[in-house]
Amino acid sequence: MSQDLAQNRYKADLRDIRFLVFEQFKLQDVLGKGPYEAWGVEEFNMVMGEAHRFAVEVLGPLNAIGDRQGCRLENGQVFAPAGFKETWGKIYEGGWKTLGVKTEWDGQQAPLTLAVVVEEFMSGANTAFMMYPGLAHGAAEVIETFGTHAQKERYLRKMYHGTWGGTMCLTEPQAGSDVGAARTVAKKRPDGLYDIKGTKLFISGGDHDFAENIVHLVLARVEGAPAGTKGLSLFTVPKRRIDMATGASGELNDVTVAGIEHKMGINGSSTCLLNFGENDGCVGELVGDAENHGMPQMFKMMNGARIGVGLQGLAVASTAYLNALEYAKERRQGPSIRFWKDATAPRVAIAEHADVRRMLLDMKSRVEGIRALIIKLARHQDGYLVAKGNDEAAATYHLGQVDLLVPLVKAYGSDQSFRICETAIQTYGGVGYTKDYPVEQYCRDSKIFSIYEGTNHIQAMDLVGRKLGQNGGANLQSFLGDVQKFISENDAHPVLGPWVKELAVAHEAIGGTAMRLLGWFQMGQMSMVPLAANRFLEMMSETAIGWLLLEGARIAIDTQAKLPEGDAGAKDRAYYEGKKAAAKYFALNVLPAVKLKAEILAREDTSPVDLPLESFVSE
Amino acid sequence: MKILVPFKRVADPENANKVKVPVGANGLGPKIETTGMEFKPNPFDEYAVEAALRLTENGTAPKARLGEVTVVTVGGPEADQTLRGALATGADKAVRVEATDEQLDGAIIARALAKVVAQVGPDLVLLGKQTVDTDSAQTGPMLAELLGWPQVTFAVQITNEGNGSLLVTRNGDGGVQKVRVKLPAVVTVEDRVSYSGGVTSPPTPATHKYADGVRFAPLPAIMQAKKKPLEVKKLADLGVDTALSVKYLGFEPPPARKAGVKVKTVAELVDKLKNEAKAI
Repeated sequence: MSQDLAQNRYKADLRDIRFLVFEQFKLQDVLGKGPYEAWGVEEFNMVMGEAHRFAVEVLGPLNAIGDRQGCRLENGQVFAPAGFKETWGKIYEGGWKTLGVKTEWDGQQAPLTLAVVVEEFMSGANTAFMMYPGLAHGAAEVIETFGTHAQKERYLRKMYHGTWGGTMCLTEPQAGSDVGAARTVAKKRPDGLYDIKGTKLFISGGDHDFAENIVHLVLARVEGAPAGTKGLSLFTVPKRRIDMATGASGELNDVTVAGIEHKMGINGSSTCLLNFGENDGCVGELVGDAENHGMPQMFKMMNGARIGVGLQGLAVASTAYLNALEYAKERRQGPSIRFWKDATAPRVAIAEHADVRRMLLDMKSRVEGIRALIIKLARHQDGYLVAKGNDEAAATYHLGQVDLLVPLVKAYGSDQSFRICETAIQTYGGVGYTKDYPVEQYCRDSKIFSIYEGTNHIQAMDLVGRKLGQNGGANLQSFLGDVQKFISENDAHPVLGPWVKELAVAHEAIGGTAMRLLGWFQMGQMSMVPLAANRFLEMMSETAIGWLLLEGARIAIDTQAKLPEGDAGAKDRAYYEGKKAAAKYFALNVLPAVKLKAEILAREDTSPVDLPLESFVSE
Repeated sequence: MKILVPFKRVADPENANKVKVPVGANGLGPKIETTGMEFKPNPFDEYAVEAALRLTENGTAPKARLGEVTVVTVGGPEADQTLRGALATGADKAVRVEATDEQLDGAIIARALAKVVAQVGPDLVLLGKQTVDTDSAQTGPMLAELLGWPQVTFAVQITNEGNGSLLVTRNGDGGVQKVRVKLPAVVTVEDRVSYSGGVTSPPTPATHKYADGVRFAPLPAIMQAKKKPLEVKKLADLGVDTALSVKYLGFEPPPARKAGVKVKTVAELVDKLKNEAKAI
C-alpha cells in the first residue's frame, strides 16, 4: 500500500488551539495593547487560518520527500531535498518568518502566542524544512539583542527576510555539552575584524543553496582570552564576505563544509561539519563591541530556541496522535469484547477496543496538556511585554514564569514527543512501523528534540540549579501559589473535586521535593542533584500540565452549561467532553505518580554512581 | 481594468453531513439549522477573485496592482471576515450590502448587485459559476440580464485581448467553447480558471507560470487588509425591489442511503444491474 510521497499527512487541532488562546488564556486581554496594538481577534484568526493552509498545502507535501531524499554534499556545496529551495522563497514572500519580528525590522510584531501557534503548524507539517528559517531567525535575534547599530543595519533585514540564512555554531568535536572546551580561535586584525580558525560540528542548516549568503554565529576564543566559557566571544562569520560599506555579499570566506551527518531523522535538514579558515582566509566580526561575552549572549538567546524545541515536540506529537486517531477509527479488526466468544460477530474499528482507546486518550491528554503549557508560557511572555513600563510587578511576575517554564517546555515537551510518537506507532500496529504511514518518520524526527539545544538533563540542571532559586525563589513561589489558588477554588467542585485532590497531592510533593533539593545543595550532597534533576523536572511538568488541563476542564464545564440544546451545540459539547476527559485521565493516571516519584527521591538512592564502571559489564 | 467580484460566505461543504433540519409540520422543517456550522468563502468565488487579481497585475510583480478589484457581498457583519480575506489576497475595496438571509433570494441579490455595479462602475463582473450551498447558478445570469450586458458562464480560461474584449473558454455539455466577449460583461468561472494557465493577461509575460490554485494571503497583507475600505450599504438604501419571488415552503434532508447488498456471482451482478438498477 504505497502512498504518494508528495501527499500532505499533517493534521492540526485548530479547535483546541482556539480554546487555549481565547477561552483559557484570554489572549484578547492583551490584543490591541502596547506592542500588539495592530492585533485583534480577527487578525489572529485570519493569520492562523492562512498559516494552517500554508502548512498543509506547501510544507506538508514535502515532509516525506525531504526524509527519503535527505541532503547531499557536492563539491563543497550542500543541496537540500527537492522543493525546499522554492519553499524558502514562499515562506519569506508570505511573511511567515517575520510574524514576531518588530515593525522596526519590517516585521508584523505579533504576540508570541500567535507565533507559537503558527510555528506548531509549520514545524508539525515539515520539521526538517523549518530548521533552516528557524536557525536564521534565531541568529538574527542574537544580533538584534547584542549587535551594534551598524551590525543591526547590516544584518537584520536580510536575515529576517530570507535574503541571507543563518546558523548557530557552538558545538565542536570535543565541546558538546561542555561548550567551554571550544578551541576555535579568533585573532584580531588591523581592520578591527577577526581571523577565525576552527571546526564546528552538528551545525543545523550549516549550508544550503536557498539564499545568497549564510551568516554563521560562531563561538570562538580570542587569542589570550581565559580558558572555559568565560573566554568565549561571539562572531558573525558569513559564507561569503560582506562588504562593510555596501552590505553586499562577495567572494567566499573560507568556510568549508567538510561533511554532512547521516541521521536517524530530520533528514531534510543539513547537519554540517564546518571548517573555518582552513586556508587562513576566514574573517569574522565580533558581535557587539566587547570580547568574552559570547556565553551570556548565547544564553540570553536560548530561551527562544528552547521554547522552539519544545514546540517542535508538541507539533510532531500532535500530528502523530491525530493520524493515529484517524487510522484507529477506520481500521477494523476483531469483534467487540462483548462478543469475544462469537467468531461471527462483526469486526469493529480498533478504536472500539479498550487498549487502543486508552492509548488514544493517553496521547490526547499529553498533547493537549503540553500545548496548554506552551501557550501558557507564550501568554506569560505576551503579558510581560504588555505590562513592561506600566506595571512592573506584573512584568516581573510574567517574566519570572517564562524563565521557570522554559526548561519544562523544552525537556518535557521533547521527551514526551518521542514517547507519544511511539504510542502512535503502537496504535497503528504493524503498518505504523512501515514507511507507508507517517508515524515512523515522526518518531525518528522527534528523537533529536531531547538532545539538541541543551540535552534534557541540561534543562533539568538548569531548572534545579538556576531556575528554582531565581529571584530568591520568587518565581517558584508564584508558580506554586497559582496552582494552590486553583486547588483552593476547585477542590470542592462536584465534578472536578476528586481530580483536583490528585493535583493537590502532586503540588505538595513538588513543594517538598524542592525543599529536599535545596537541602542537598546546602548539605553538599551534590551527587544526588543530577540523579534527581530529570525526575524532578518531570514531576513539576506533570503538576503544571495537570493544573492547566484541570483549569481547562473547569472552563469546559462552565461553558458547556451555556451551550444551546440539541444539535446546535453538539459539536462544542463533544469538544468540551474531550477537555474534561483529558483532564480526568491525566489527573487519575499521571498525577498520582508525582507523589510516588517524590517518595523515590526521598530514598536518596545513589546506586548509579556508586556502582564502579567495571561492574556494569564484567567481560 | 476595474473588476467587481460578488462573493458569498457559505456553510462549509465539509459540514454537509452535519446539516440539520428541524422537523416542522408535515415533516418539513421551516429552515436549515446553521448554528454551530462552520463557514467559509464560496470556493468558486475565490477562483473568481484569483482570476480578477491575475487580470489586474503583472504576475511577476503582483504587489503593484494595475487595476482595481472590488469584492461585494450581501449579508450580515459575520461576512466581513470573508471580505477581509479577499482584501488580504490583493483585492482593493470591499462592499457589503447589509441584509439577513430571510430577506434574500437570488433575484433580490442580482438586483442589489446591479445597483452596486452602477455605483462602482466596473468593466467586468467576475463571479463563481454557482455557490456550493444552494447550487442554483442563477445570480450571474440574472445580473447580466438586469445590466443588459453580455455574459459567459462556466469559464475555465480567460484571455485579456487588450482591446476591450476577452476571449473566454467555457465548459459546455459537449466540449469546450471559445467565446469572444466585449466588455463590459459578466463572466462566471469554474475552478480551472485558477489553474496555472487559467488567465492570460498582457502585463504578465507569457513565460510567467502561476501556481495552480488560489494564492496565499501574505502576512503583511493580512494586517493591511483592515486598513482597506469596506463600505457597508443598506439593502433598503439601494432602492431595489425587495419583494421575495422565491418562497421557501419547507426543508427536508435528503433520504439516507440504503445499505448495499453483496452479490455472490458475476451473473447475479449483471442481472441486478440489468433488471433492478436498469443501468445496462
